[in-house]
Amino acid sequence: MRLSPRFSLVAAAGLAAWLGACQLDKDQKPARPVIHFSLSAATQALGEDGQPVIPADVQTNIAGSLAMLFGTPENPQFQLLPEWKDEGFNPNWPAYPVGEDGSGEVDLAGLEADNKVYWRRQLAAIEAGQWGRVFVQDFTPDLREKWNELCAQTPEEARGDDFKKAAAELFTGYYPRLSASAELYRQHCLHCHGPEGGGDGPTAPFLNPRPRDYRHGTFKFTAVGKSVPRRTDLYRILDEGVTGTSMPSFRRFSQAQLHGLIDYVRLLSMRGMVERSLVSTFGEEEMLTSGDVADAYLTVWEKWKKADEKALMFEGEVPLPTPESIARGRELFMDAKAGNCFSCHGPEGRGDGVAAFALDPETGKLKPTYKDDWGNEILPRNLRIGIFRGGRRPIDLYRRIKNGIAGGPMPEAASTLTSDDIWHLVHYVGSISERPQHAHKVASHGDEHGQSSSHGETPASGDGHGTEKH
Amino acid sequence: MRYLFTLLLFLVPALGVWTFVEADRWQLWFPQNVSSFGGEIDRLFNIIMYMVAFTFIVTEVCLAWFVFKYSAKNETKGAFTHGSHKLEMVWTAIPAVALLFIAFIQMRTWADIKFEGNFPKDGEYTREKPIAEVWASQFDWRIRYPGDDGVLGTVDDLERSWEFVVPVDTKIVFNLRTRDVIHSFFVPEFRLKQDALPGHTIPMWFEAKKEGIYDLICAELCGWGHYKMSGRVTVVSKEEFAKRMSEIKAEWFSNGKELGE
Repeated sequence: MRLSPRFSLVAAAGLAAWLGACQLDKDQKPARPVIHFSLSAATQALGEDGQPVIPADVQTNIAGSLAMLFGTPENPQFQLLPEWKDEGFNPNWPAYPVGEDGSGEVDLAGLEADNKVYWRRQLAAIEAGQWGRVFVQDFTPDLREKWNELCAQTPEEARGDDFKKAAAELFTGYYPRLSASAELYRQHCLHCHGPEGGGDGPTAPFLNPRPRDYRHGTFKFTAVGKSVPRRTDLYRILDEGVTGTSMPSFRRFSQAQLHGLIDYVRLLSMRGMVERSLVSTFGEEEMLTSGDVADAYLTVWEKWKKADEKALMFEGEVPLPTPESIARGRELFMDAKAGNCFSCHGPEGRGDGVAAFALDPETGKLKPTYKDDWGNEILPRNLRIGIFRGGRRPIDLYRRIKNGIAGGPMPEAASTLTSDDIWHLVHYVGSISERPQHAHKVASHGDEHGQSSSHGETPASGDGHGTEKH
Repeated sequence: MRYLFTLLLFLVPALGVWTFVEADRWQLWFPQNVSSFGGEIDRLFNIIMYMVAFTFIVTEVCLAWFVFKYSAKNETKGAFTHGSHKLEMVWTAIPAVALLFIAFIQMRTWADIKFEGNFPKDGEYTREKPIAEVWASQFDWRIRYPGDDGVLGTVDDLERSWEFVVPVDTKIVFNLRTRDVIHSFFVPEFRLKQDALPGHTIPMWFEAKKEGIYDLICAELCGWGHYKMSGRVTVVSKEEFAKRMSEIKAEWFSNGKELGE
């Protein structure tokens, strides 16, 4: 067989193009874009005269101070204050997890069991000596680095039990550095929450409700009311997600990684709070000194350190709903001087109360009355669909009702309400939020069989037949 | 030249068949099967795979042989034909019979796994009394266990995200639901896959024969975050299951203080 010259030419060109493309792919791997922290839109706002409200040189100063205090997205780091040295307090890894002296917040030993499950495939591969199968994802860059280092130190022939032990400890004792958490944030959180945690990432405009803006230090679903959240509150959000919103559960990551993410979210939140505080200081005093910056940083840190004290707990066992309690809850719900819930949530709890809507004079249509702290229009929750963003647990509802919701129009419960009253309300809200499926199903079954009794089937014997029709 | 081209052409299917033969050794084959009906699914898969493999090998051998025999070098003139009725009958009838064969041999298995009439009736969990409700949403899984009253959709339901804990060696019946778009509940080790449709409550069942941690994957492209919509099915002993449920319950009815949260 003779190849026609044209065929050879086309084939050769195709082969060359393919090889070229492969080579191109290798060389021109897109460079990893470097992200920066920017100042918020409020800081950069222009006045009526078209000039920035905060002069450009002051803005540069603020940005510089923030970079000094919190580092960059590539290398985030809390600035250490001299007075912390005496206290033995170091907010950066690795001193921050609970140490031998009891300082720090995260108990590393408690995370070990979870690490053993999360890294089970890697640990099994290490145990079996299959080094090629020890896969370390790129969102744990510090672990990958350490693993590669360990491998480079010991050639494959020399890897014995000591190596296996050291390698296993690397995985079971893993707690991410801030920079590694920043990488995890970059891959899984940034697209909604934005590089500065401003809730303005590229996918944010498509979401309703909008992602949280951390920079106010205000988080809605916590146990601490208007205070900044505790580590536990943030952990619960990451762990359970926020039902009914676009925030999913991130339990797919290890507990250590979630705590690392919390470290980074706190850094972003504090950065935003310091920025806002500096802007307001400048607004009052028309100047900023380095003392102002240090004050702002310290004040913000004090707030976060004290968050644990603000948590609302309930002494004693959570009471179970009773018909009387539910009835009392209904009364409080409808009482304008007690719960006054109906004014926004509506008499039936459908989120259609009169106070929540106002007539828009321009369009002549109803629009939400309230806006949240971030300027988004906000509607009262429909209590009848069983979706509670802050959680459905009794204690979650208790905290929501008692503390209100930070950053939104949901107020604190009136001081005249006792904790028993709050529980009555919790039980009433619980009682209207669900529709038992099973009872419903059985009832419709009964009807169906009742009508078709001429077939000689009793409800008890019609096990498979009835259900298949549904 | 025609030897070379025939060989090259034949090499492609030969390599393809070889990868199938070696796949198990390279750990590219199915994950372990831990469900009671997984063996049936694998058997059906193997039957179909052997049928396809037989057809594939026969056709590829024929193809290579024709390339060799009728290469351009034998300057024979092509004969025109208006087709063969007999041949068409044969190549219609054989696939029809094959498809009918497949349709009939899978019926029992399909009915056992999917028909509600064949769901476990005598065990602890039944169609009327499922162990839990699995909610899919963009982009996570939430598991809702009925509380003490054993009825789903009441205020004492215990809810947990992401991890579906079930006891081993027990026929598990559960409901699959979705909050938003179509998702698909897929546990490869159980050989179990079912789409979750908006507005539908879809009952499912399985029986896990081995304790362990298995990945729960969304197998229906459900949006941009589909790739990370993973969950976990944890199969534990019955004692451990009772313990885990009491832990979930303790957390559910926590007063915030005791668990320090």
